[in-house]
Amino acid sequence: MYWNSKDITTFIEQKEFVDTAIIPLLLVDGRASHIKQSAGTADFLMSLTAFMENQFKGRVVLMPPVTYTPQSSRSVLATEWKNVLTEAGFKHHFFISCDMQWATEAPEIDVIYTPSIPLENMDQKLRQSILDDQIRQVVPVFANNWAKTVE
Amino acid sequence: MSNNRVSRRQFLNYTLMGVGGFMAAGMMMPMVRFAVDPVLQKAEGGDFIPTSKKVAELTEVPERVDFSFEQVDAWYTSEVTSTAWVYKSGDKIIALSPVCKHLGCTVNWAGSPDHPDQFFCPCHAGRYEKNGQNIKGTPPLGPLDEFEVREKDGLLEIGKIRPNTLV
Repeated sequence: MYWNSKDITTFIEQKEFVDTAIIPLLLVDGRASHIKQSAGTADFLMSLTAFMENQFKGRVVLMPPVTYTPQSSRSVLATEWKNVLTEAGFKHHFFISCDMQWATEAPEIDVIYTPSIPLENMDQKLRQSILDDQIRQVVPVFANNWAKTVE
Repeated sequence: MSNNRVSRRQFLNYTLMGVGGFMAAGMMMPMVRFAVDPVLQKAEGGDFIPTSKKVAELTEVPERVDFSFEQVDAWYTSEVTSTAWVYKSGDKIIALSPVCKHLGCTVNWAGSPDHPDQFFCPCHAGRYEKNGQNIKGTPPLGPLDEFEVREKDGLLEIGKIRPNTLV
């Protein structure tokens, strides 16, 4: 589901089934040396999370991406978002990012890291198979996390 | 000067006939076009979308087949990739939609090691038989939808989605 009024209405009605938020963490960097990579990462991360949404539509809500700049405090963002999501009633918070610095700066949240793969020159088929591969890596992480609360 | 002089009356006659002819043609053309329209209609190929899957390669085991088509949302055209689980049942080709009837996740064939011959939804452990029948006691309330299928030049083509006809 997406963060829009229609899906959130379903979410409110089906809270026992929809208990997971996917939050893409997206670094926006305007420096000439980083700008292109930053845009490419955005492209990849948005495609990947949209595909996750498609696969797990009935259990997850894909949040609008958290965009931040190199100056932002990751640890402040992490705390804020954790609180908001808990308040909204999500039991599982899956943060997804290509920015490894979250591990050192914000250890309070578990971030799922994916490599940033440049998609721009790929045809539709190759793109799909790359995303398939990435999803396959992420599924066990999701499944483990989901299994934890059942027990 | 030519000997063959055109009188004023003749000149007006010709002019009127010419202009009148054009006007009449202008009115008749659309009418004729409407009348013969069904004949001019392009032979409709239906809404079948070609896939790259060879029909001869299909087996009794459901297999994932991707197909993509262009979807127009107002001014925005995008290419959408969709999937079907396709298998052969005798001579019949069956294509099932992978969309779980519970809350719309994507189901996988043999997605759970405990149930190798069923469709499995990873979100809430919903399960379906091979023919799409939902299994009692799991969250889904209806069977998986089915796609219309046909064969063209040995390749599989996928058509409209419809309620399951197998169960």
